Amino acid sequence: MLVHLQGAWNPWLGRLTLSQIPYHSPIVLGAFAFALLAAAPIVGLMTYYQKWGYLIREWITTLDHKKIGVMYIIIGLVMLLRGFIDGIMIRTQQLLADGPRSAAHLQAVHGYLPPFHFDQIYSSHGTIMIIFAVTVVLTGFQNIIVPLQIGARDMAFPYLNAVSLWLTAAGAALVMISLFIGDFSHAGWVGIVPLTELPYSPGVGVDYWDWALQLSSLGTTLGALNLITTIIMMRAPGMRWFRMPFFTWATLSTQTIGLTAFPVLGVALALLSCDRYLGTHFYTAGLGGNLMLYTDLFWIWGHPEVYFIILPAWGIMSEVIPTFSEKALFGYTVMVAATLSIAGLSWAVWLHHFFTMGAGPGVNLVFSVSTMLVGIPTGVKVFNWSLTLYRGRLRFETPMLWAIGALFLLLVGGLTGMMLAIPAINYTVHNSVFVVAHFHTMFLVSVFGIFAGLMYWFPKVFGFRLDERSGRRFFTFFSLGTVFVFAAMYTLGLMGMTRRLDYLYNPHWQALLIIQEFGIFLYCVSVFYFCKMIYVSIRDRAKEAHGQDVWRTSRTLEWMTLTPVPFYNFAVIPVVHGRDAWAMRRDSGLTATSPGDYEDINLPNNTIVPAMLGALAFGFGFGMVWRIWWLAGLSLLGIIGLVILRSFADDRGFTLTAATVRRMERNHEDTGIVTDHISPPVAELALFQ
Amino acid sequence: MSLHRADPLDHPDVRNASGIAFVAGYAASVGLMAIALMVTLRHEMSYVRFVIAVAILGGLALLAQAVLMFRLDLSGGQRWKTISLLLVVPLFVLSIGLTGWMFHTLYPRTMLDFMQVQGSGM
Repeated sequence: MLVHLQGAWNPWLGRLTLSQIPYHSPIVLGAFAFALLAAAPIVGLMTYYQKWGYLIREWITTLDHKKIGVMYIIIGLVMLLRGFIDGIMIRTQQLLADGPRSAAHLQAVHGYLPPFHFDQIYSSHGTIMIIFAVTVVLTGFQNIIVPLQIGARDMAFPYLNAVSLWLTAAGAALVMISLFIGDFSHAGWVGIVPLTELPYSPGVGVDYWDWALQLSSLGTTLGALNLITTIIMMRAPGMRWFRMPFFTWATLSTQTIGLTAFPVLGVALALLSCDRYLGTHFYTAGLGGNLMLYTDLFWIWGHPEVYFIILPAWGIMSEVIPTFSEKALFGYTVMVAATLSIAGLSWAVWLHHFFTMGAGPGVNLVFSVSTMLVGIPTGVKVFNWSLTLYRGRLRFETPMLWAIGALFLLLVGGLTGMMLAIPAINYTVHNSVFVVAHFHTMFLVSVFGIFAGLMYWFPKVFGFRLDERSGRRFFTFFSLGTVFVFAAMYTLGLMGMTRRLDYLYNPHWQALLIIQEFGIFLYCVSVFYFCKMIYVSIRDRAKEAHGQDVWRTSRTLEWMTLTPVPFYNFAVIPVVHGRDAWAMRRDSGLTATSPGDYEDINLPNNTIVPAMLGALAFGFGFGMVWRIWWLAGLSLLGIIGLVILRSFADDRGFTLTAATVRRMERNHEDTGIVTDHISPPVAELALFQ
Repeated sequence: MSLHRADPLDHPDVRNASGIAFVAGYAASVGLMAIALMVTLRHEMSYVRFVIAVAILGGLALLAQAVLMFRLDLSGGQRWKTISLLLVVPLFVLSIGLTGWMFHTLYPRTMLDFMQVQGSGM
């Protein structure tokens, strides 16, 4: 039943041999040294300050939506750095390998990367940036902010929330380990068929890509289910649909897309796995297979995924712009309608990713028109943000700078998107770096939105503001880097440069390639200022500490509770009387009121089970990649056994008494997420006592 | 709107659950999908019969999950789940329909003998 593969295999280690560890590659060795250097101080400090117990007790086992959100964001930022390094390597290779006389370094004929290694780098760059960086960071924001915005104490399913996180972490770990054991896919982040089929990719690279995506997409689907249920079922009394903060609406639309689209990716990849492991022919050219079916299935998920990434960023912009314009969001109801219609339209545009495949003109016409229709609600949003800015008392603090930057990029990305929606233009620039520049511009809208959100909500979660001075420099260099890299890339695309080239044949592109590389240098400077911003902010955290309403003009419910947010979120569930609940209270002079009566609060116990499920999922994925059947089988059995075992646990959480809550609230005790002043019990500890 | 319960075991979803039905639904859906996999691997059916067989098996697996595992109905606790499933139907029609139309126009342009591909074994 299983496909017989040529080459070494043994029952204990499967296809894994010492030769699969690329210690002969100086680049991989360098990456290994960099990873060691980055990890060593963290491990050293954790050991020196004896924080391993704290890490496990307070973070690894946590079910608190804020801590889970923070861990999502940390994973996402680490992956963002890895994806960024891949981006530097791609740009540098193209700069060095331009023209027949270009120099050769290391093991390459041109530039410094051999073609197979270059192909892996652009594949991992795309996979990481889209699936494991931007998606993950945005999921983190939604985890932290949505329950706070709707006045809930946690997500609807806190345990499932932790499972989603650890499945995503398992997928990210598979991508990272592929750097040092074996290799990664060379078939692009989209998995170009038939290149991903076994005869063309007999190694483990495609399998790493496949299982990493499978695991993380499962995590994302479960996360979507959780967020939708939370928004529907957990809203505070009085919070009707049209009183919900806009970011929550954006999340609801996003996660509806996630819940419906990610299973399609799961199916597309499962069929590919059947081809690679069982010898089926879903995507082969013969025996009833259809390789174009993969492209179709992939983009049925792929285009909704674009909106899965964009909509939360627009939600963040819709929170930041009113706060720093000191007025309500213009056209709230229309904005909600626009968001929902974009979510709906996202399901009807996917074929514009392969206009050139050869479908009839009628088909291309329908998808061209449906793609252009997206421009209407998007245009509505741009006008509404502009009209929110109009006659507002504008304050250009760092979150606002990022939000305005995102607005500008949306115009550039949106207009080039309209160009690409026209099949005739699409045929002309298909597979050129013009397309690459377009979708990078759109993803950068998300990235700018992410940094706006990071600057905006960081003080709410941690209790102190990020350093404004280095934050502004971070924004400046990042924006300049964006201009230099992508203005040059649009131009190169129109000059005919195709994508994914490890060697460029045209020396006349050199000047623009140098401009791109200069932009990359500016990005590197911005990373320095980002690190500096974090360092200075932590160092000066006492000076930058703030009360509940950090920005003084915030509008939504998350600003009502203490800063940093206590682990129980709200001492008493608030009653909502209108839209922008916090702004209403501020305008009515009700910000300093405290509840007369407190109540007992029931919260979930921490548990190690979700982290164990993540570890077993990683074991399963690693076993499948290397065909170590005992490891994959045992891991799968372990997952099933743990899930069943957990379902019998009579864990009803722990209760924080009203008296304790009153004491903590009135004494302003620090109950934020980085303190272990009061720790939720770990359910499994009872077993050992 | 707001739904806060101290004891999760009192939730209507949990009260509605049945261990036997859950196991039966799980076994039925795994079994039906395993049969579909075997049918796919054996290559013994004609193209059209194969597509019909797999579609029927998929439909039965869906039914087993909806009825036995998730106990979908229109009661207060289950209403949202049932509506969620129904809301997927238009997407299902949209994606399958547009895919079918796309391939219908694609085959004559890209296949040497597209009728043989579409109708092989009829």
